[in-house]
Amino acid sequence: MSADRPDGESVDEADPTVEMADQAKADEPELDRGIIEAWAAKMISNPDRAYRATFYVATVFFVVTTLFPFYWLLVVALTPRNNLSEVGVFLPAGFNPAAFVEVFQTLPFHRYVFNSFLIATIATVAVLLVGSLAGYVFGRLRFRGRNAMLLLVLVTSFFPPAAFFIPLNRLFNTNVDVLRPLISAGSLYNTPYAIFIPLSAIFLPLSIFILMTFYSQIPDGLEDAARVEGTTRLGALFRVIVPLSAPGVATAGVLTFISVYNEYFFSSLMTDGRPGNWAPMLEGILRFQGEFEVLYNLMAAASIVAVLPVAILVVVAQEKIVSGLTTGAVKE
Amino acid sequence: MASVTLEGITKRYEDVTAVDDMNLEINDGEFVTFVGPSGCGKSTTMETIAGLTLPTEGTIEIGGRDVTNLPPKDRGISMVFQNIALFPHMDVYDNISFGLRLRKYDQEEVDRRVEEAADIVQLEGMMDRMPSEMSGGQRQRVAIARAIVRNPDAFLMDEPLANLDAELRVHMRTQLQRLHRELDTTIIYVTHDQAQAMTMSDRIAVINSGVLQQVAPPLECYNEPANLFVAGFIGSPAMNFIEGAVVDGGFESQYTQIDFDPETHGVSPGQDITVGIRPEDVFLEEDARKAASPTKAFDAVVDVIEPMGKEVNAYLLFDRDVEASAEGRGEGQLLINLAPDTEIAEGDDIRIVMDRENVHLFDRASGDAITHSLE
Repeated sequence: MSADRPDGESVDEADPTVEMADQAKADEPELDRGIIEAWAAKMISNPDRAYRATFYVATVFFVVTTLFPFYWLLVVALTPRNNLSEVGVFLPAGFNPAAFVEVFQTLPFHRYVFNSFLIATIATVAVLLVGSLAGYVFGRLRFRGRNAMLLLVLVTSFFPPAAFFIPLNRLFNTNVDVLRPLISAGSLYNTPYAIFIPLSAIFLPLSIFILMTFYSQIPDGLEDAARVEGTTRLGALFRVIVPLSAPGVATAGVLTFISVYNEYFFSSLMTDGRPGNWAPMLEGILRFQGEFEVLYNLMAAASIVAVLPVAILVVVAQEKIVSGLTTGAVKE
Repeated sequence: MASVTLEGITKRYEDVTAVDDMNLEINDGEFVTFVGPSGCGKSTTMETIAGLTLPTEGTIEIGGRDVTNLPPKDRGISMVFQNIALFPHMDVYDNISFGLRLRKYDQEEVDRRVEEAADIVQLEGMMDRMPSEMSGGQRQRVAIARAIVRNPDAFLMDEPLANLDAELRVHMRTQLQRLHRELDTTIIYVTHDQAQAMTMSDRIAVINSGVLQQVAPPLECYNEPANLFVAGFIGSPAMNFIEGAVVDGGFESQYTQIDFDPETHGVSPGQDITVGIRPEDVFLEEDARKAASPTKAFDAVVDVIEPMGKEVNAYLLFDRDVEASAEGRGEGQLLINLAPDTEIAEGDDIRIVMDRENVHLFDRASGDAITHSLE
């Protein structure tokens, strides 16, 4: 670049994209372009526009594919029972919000939801507790056999959960005298334990991995400081490491909660399906399927009701995740 | 307040010995600094005192109580860390009161003590700030307040000033000295910076490769270093070393010759020794009267001059043929310290004398000091 050039020109030369844009503009009148070609040329000269356009297309696509089924569920739920054969795609054939009340009148659906909610909550607490201890050990301690044990934990999550069903179902149907004072029948079948024990175990490895990654990133100095200040290792874990890993804990918790709440296989087979016997929410939805008639509108309404607790939880947890990310600010 | 005693402390990791048979008695209320190059085992020693790692062998007593196997929380110590280690999710008040709340002090007592500690480190009115909203120096003060609020038997400080900028470091250094005077508590301080060690400590413990080299007051380490390592490590710029041998009637190396009676200093002709001389103990021949007892003069050539303001550092070569090493401290080279108004220029031929009172002799084989004065 020669020294006598004006400054503006040399700046243009230094920035190849600007230069290209200028060139494209200059060349445009000379070429005979179709609409698409012109549009493509514009995109090439201004890639930000292309990225933005792609972003919107992708976003709209995902929003539609995820939310439309949910919307259609609402359409079905609002369609009166007699019009179910002519249910519309975008608008319900009729308007019957009473379905949301009927759901609770026909069946004690609230009890099913409560069962599921309780089982998912217990499982989440158990998974976070055990996962925190395991995550601390794998993430922060160095010991012989660490990798082998980690691999073992990973391997358990490779099994199809169904492979565990038959032995577990046998086991849970066995009467254990020791349990008699705790559980009336002496066996775990028809108790919340029959669902949350296997599901906690199945979803535990994922949480261990998430928590391990987060805990390993907390500087050693903070743990040392907590221990010098007066905590044990466990105290340091729950007073310092866990609060600082809030986003990770929230992620692991939400994933576990949703997975257990929505689980089908164990949930449907570990109880006899009666609400008093801790049958989960999913059994409730299936109960609207009678011998002679399937109450699609009530099933749809029940599904929507069942989603609400999870939706609320995710919104609340998201807040936590975001705030955890901003206030965490771990230096080092 | 308490004394701290290390007895035969050894810490071995799989294939390295980080600390080797360390014996040290730290008196009640004393300010002792562990100093040494990176990786010399000084931090490991401190971690064993804190209880963050357990020693492979040896016992640790704090205030006459054997704490070797106690967890950190039961040792009556507090610690300030190099990376400050404030809990980022707690505000200043919660950080300072963390230890007190864990020990279930009642609210009034906690408030009173926190206020007192904050007062000492001048943190009034910042109680509800988060660490992320504070400057490095403020955070460091919070960390110190957290350490003093529990009124521990001993403070451990692991390079607490390393992450601060130079100006703040000097400021905090005087603050710490003042703090020590006010609290009169045993302080064990770890640093690799010999300037911090020299300025603050009652005694310094020089450590190299996990072995204690010398434990003595700073000036004693400076004036009477126990061995070559201490002599080279303490003092900035460092001591000059001239390798040679004992001959009849003195010391001789390729370029220098110093007269003394070998017998008075317990060396015999033929022994390999190293002469150590600090830059400020070498003078130009015309200023020989400044030396208490000048040696005879040597020829030298001025290689590089560094004016420092209050003094001038001059890198000398004993001979024009000497190849100057990058750091200017190799064989045949000498660093001297002159008054700022000395008129010399690079390339000048000069004659220098050493002060016999401050010539150190070291046995080359063992590295141990033989004498710290030829008079």
